[in-house]
Order: sequence, then C-alpha cells, then structure tokens
Amino acid sequence: MNLERRSFLMGSATTAAGGLLVACAPEQKEQSPAVTDVVPFHGDNQAGVYRPADQQASACFASFTVIADNRAELKTLFQRLTTKARILTGGHRHDQALPTEELNGVDGAPPVNSGVLGEDVPAANISLSFGVAGSLFDREEFGLKARKPKGLTEMKVFPKDQIDAAWVGGDLMIQICADSQDAVHYALRDIMKATRGQLQLAWKINGFHNKPRPDGAPRNLFGYKDGIVNPASTESLVWINGNSGQPGWTEGGTFLVVRLIRMLVEFWDRVGLGEQDGMIGRHRASGAPLGKDKETDEPDYANDPEGNEIPLDAHIRLANPRTKETSGSRMLRRGYNYDLGVDLNGNMQAGLIFASYQQNIQEQFEATQTRLADEPMTDYIEPFGGGYFLMLPGVKDENDHLASGLFA
Amino acid sequence: MPQKPAATMADAIAAYHSYVSGQLDELRNHLGTLRAAVANADTPGAQGAWLQAQQCWQRVGAAYGSFGELGDAIAPGSRGLQGGSADPEFKGLRRIEYGLWHGQGAPQLLPAIDQLAKDLQALAAKLPGLSTDPADMPLRLHEILEDSQRDHLSGNGDQGSGMAIALTRADVEATQEVLDLLRTLLQGLKAGFPALLDQQLAALLKVIDQTRTGGTWTPYRSLSLLQRQRINGALGRVLESLALVPALFSTD
Repeated sequence: MNLERRSFLMGSATTAAGGLLVACAPEQKEQSPAVTDVVPFHGDNQAGVYRPADQQASACFASFTVIADNRAELKTLFQRLTTKARILTGGHRHDQALPTEELNGVDGAPPVNSGVLGEDVPAANISLSFGVAGSLFDREEFGLKARKPKGLTEMKVFPKDQIDAAWVGGDLMIQICADSQDAVHYALRDIMKATRGQLQLAWKINGFHNKPRPDGAPRNLFGYKDGIVNPASTESLVWINGNSGQPGWTEGGTFLVVRLIRMLVEFWDRVGLGEQDGMIGRHRASGAPLGKDKETDEPDYANDPEGNEIPLDAHIRLANPRTKETSGSRMLRRGYNYDLGVDLNGNMQAGLIFASYQQNIQEQFEATQTRLADEPMTDYIEPFGGGYFLMLPGVKDENDHLASGLFA
Repeated sequence: MPQKPAATMADAIAAYHSYVSGQLDELRNHLGTLRAAVANADTPGAQGAWLQAQQCWQRVGAAYGSFGELGDAIAPGSRGLQGGSADPEFKGLRRIEYGLWHGQGAPQLLPAIDQLAKDLQALAAKLPGLSTDPADMPLRLHEILEDSQRDHLSGNGDQGSGMAIALTRADVEATQEVLDLLRTLLQGLKAGFPALLDQQLAALLKVIDQTRTGGTWTPYRSLSLLQRQRINGALGRVLESLALVPALFSTD
C-alpha cells in the first residue's frame, strides 16, 4: 500500500464525504477482445466437456465446501458464479464496463483485477464448468433433498484405491481450463475473492495436457497415447436427457467422475517395453493396438479370443471390450496430467487427473472400473482422491443462471 | 475521557490511546498472575494466565508494528531468528508461550517475564507522548484481522498453545473497538458501511464461538476442516470489506 501518495482526513468526515466518494463509473466502450480464443459460456450444455474440441493445455479441478447458510444464499452464489463465468470466459479489456456487483464503488480501493494477466484479461480459451456433489443435496438448510440426482453417491472406493481424506470431499466442483496456467490461476483467484463467505476450498489440483508426440492423441505420463477412443456427443452417452431417469432439472447436464491417480513412474520405467505394451494393449511408439499399425485402428478381439495378440487383461481390452453388451458403458474421457512434487521419500508424486463424463456413473464409470479392478497395471498406479459431481446443465442465455432449474 | 464514537480523527486517536492504556494496565495484572503461577510451578495456572495476557495484547490491536520497537518487544514472533523458537533472542509473550508448552519452568521463564514487564512499563510510559499518523487508524481497522489470518490461523505464530481461535476472537474485539471509534467518520464516508461491518464481524464471532466446547478453546489443529472453513470464510468476507477502509479515508 503506497502511503506516501495519500493524505488522510483529519477533520469531520461528514462534511467532506461528498467530494470523496468518486463513484467508479465504468466507461461505456464496447470493444470486445478478439473472439478466436473464446469458448462460449452460454449453451444447452456447459463448456469444458465437449467444447472446445481440442482440450486446453492447462486445467484446475477445484472442489469447494459450500459454507453458505441457506437456500437463498446458495442461489445468490450460483448467480454470482454465473456473472463471474460470463466475464472470465469472454476476456475483458480494462476499459470495458463491468456489472455493478463486480465493483466496490470506492475510489482508490484495491483493484478488482489481480493483474496476473495484465490489465486486459485475454479470453485464453478459458472454460469454467460447474458441478455439484451429492453432499449438497443432503444438507438440511438447502432443502434440496428431493432434487438429488440418482446415483450421485460418494465416490466409490475400489479394492486397490488408497484414498487420502485430504483429497476427497467438497460440495461444488469448478473445473477451470485455459490455454495457460496463469489464466487458470487468475480465474480461480478471481472467483474465490468474490465468494469468500460462501465457498472454501476443500482440495484442488492443477493439470496439464501434453502436446501430441509426434501426432495423434497426446501421451500420458506412462508414455502411452491416451484418450484415443471417445464417444461422440451424438451418441447419447454423455448428456443427461429425458430418457435418463433423472430429475428434469438435470437435463443437459452430465456426471463428472474425477479420480486422482498417482502413477508410480519410477517403477513403471523399470518395466520392459514388451510388458508395458502388454499391460496397456497398445504399441507405445505408434499408439496402435498390438498387432496393428495406427492408433485409430480397431483391435480385433473376436479373432483373438485367447489374448495372443492383446492380452485378455490388457487395459484397453478390459476398459472397452468392444462388445454390444459393454458399448453402453463407454464414456467421454478428458483428463489431465498432474505433477505435485515429491513424496515422503523423494519420489515424484505425479500422475493422472482422470476425468470422465457420462450419463450414468454406475453403468458407465463404475462398470468400466469394475472390469479393470485386477488389471496388471494396478501395481503401478494409486488412486488417492477425487469425487462424483453432477455437472450442471448449460446456462442458456443472459437471463439464465447456473442451477436455475434447481431453484425453479 | 474522549467520546466514542469520535467526531474527528484526532479525537479517535486520543480515544484509542486511552483504550490502549487501559488494556496495558490489565495486561500488567495478568503478567503478575502469570509470574506467581510460574514461580509456584503451576503450569495449568500459568498457561491460563498467559492466554489472558496474550488475548489482552491482541485486544490492543497492535497490528503491523504500530508502536514501533516498544510494541514489537511485547509479542514478537520467532520468524527470522536463526535458532527459531529456541533462539536466545526470542522474547515476549510468545517466548513465554513456547516455554509453557515445552516443559520450561521458573529458571527459564522468570527472566523472560521480568523483561516483558519492563518492556510493558516502557511502552505504557511512552504512550501518552506517542504521535499517531492519521492514516494509522483506518489501516489498523483492516490490518488487525489480516494479522489473524497471517499469523494465528496459519499456525505460523503458534508456539505450542494451539490458541489461534482464542487470539483471533480477541482480534475481532480489537477491530470492533477501532470500528466503534471510527463509526461516525466512516458512516459519513459510506453510509451503511459500519452496519455492514458490524454484521460481518458478528457472523465471524458466531462461527468462532461455535468452536468452544464447555467454555474451553479447542486447539486449532483439532478443529474439523469444516469448522476451519467456516471461520476462514467469515474472516475472508469481512476482510474483503475492510480492505476498502483505507481508500475511503484517503483524500487523494
């Protein structure tokens, strides 16, 4: 705080007050930033799931405890988050008008913009996606029990999971994605500043999305191309619709499963390539299914019933057996890698922020994960946190707000 | 005795000095109790007296070294000391806390208590002649609770007692005292703002007091995450409001 530049009131303030309160009147210049890097916020579905088509390089998954006291305050929170998201996802020049709730109305007060992205906030392909956990519906003070989506349970603990209480829980998920980590940081900090009395962080983790090496799907930290096969949005596997058996207010939403999966990279790097390939079911170099040439080639399990080409317990074979019966358990995966630093003993604490989007957690994620329970790769990974969330339906337009259906 | 709320900043400063003087008197009494308990090897009694003394000092609201070296001598932290909490240079109320929660007795603690009593005497003697910058009061209004977050609730200032919540409560009381002094001036600058601060400070006190069980303070690290989040949330909300105060009083 620069005190030298200030002089202070010595006398009766009441007489001088009029001249002091210079309203922070926004200038009405409508100059929008370039729109080439804007992920539209409004739509039937939220961004950050299928939009943008190429997922952004940086992300944060932030799980918050809602400390709002009552239903009215909760609704106000969602409205505030909506306003924030509209501004943050479009980019903002310093001379553009801001909604009044964004301004503190005090001349010389701390700036509303942290300055991390400079005075003009670039769009930077920022997408903000908001989800709610089952715990929010269990809270008496919000009166939302009857609105709880089906299957929105606590995260299921699978046999090999090593859950750390510090990395689970929270009532509200904000998934922030952007072209760069500073934009992700800016958005999270900006949102938290505006919601201190309603939201407190339970846990958060930053992620990064690798570039294709050399092409095709990006590689995960085991060095394998990941996310090669994903269902299209038209396949009716991701968005909740009228046939999903869910409360009407959730239509247009989707369920997010976040699993924080540590990968024991030191151990993995001590495994021969043939064994690695066998555990994954793909050639590391090309990403092609074993016995094939290209990553987009389909494995032919029907002609490999003994698993001579692709072992029966290979990850890709268990995850997606490509049968009629298992077709409905496919889900959209859009994860990020994380690198948290050092474990207790000096090994790298790094791995995957697994993020999948589906219409039904039990029939898709849990069914798939159950098939994977004993895959050989479990020796090299340690799921330690995450959660289940209903990602809210999209905000339709300027008059709509997040979770509006929940309060209708 | 100056009136509260003050009509001018000069009156507010005078009233504040008078308030501090009363707190320092009370602090000296607690120090007497503390010294007797330590001399009698009554550790629980000494710990209780220390808390009373430290809370009393927090109620002074001496944020950001506002009394200069004299104030710094009363309860400096152990930051920046080569030997940390065990450094021979570590002194004051926090030094005494360290000893009381680390098995130290009269031989180590009585000299520290006597030194503190001397420093306190010196501060009380200098107080009437101390000139306070008019900018100080508006800054103090928000910095007392910034210190709570930075030094108490972070765990950084703790020397073993775990009394972060009790000390934060005293900080809220100090903030309320300063707000009362500035109420008329602040209302003139931004109508309704003191009432908003009253409400947000009360909300903070409410979640703080909800952590008390049977009249005793729970060590901060033993609180549940949700309890800490509620306190941090209420504190964060009022800090965002208090951050506007220095600008409101600025005549730039």
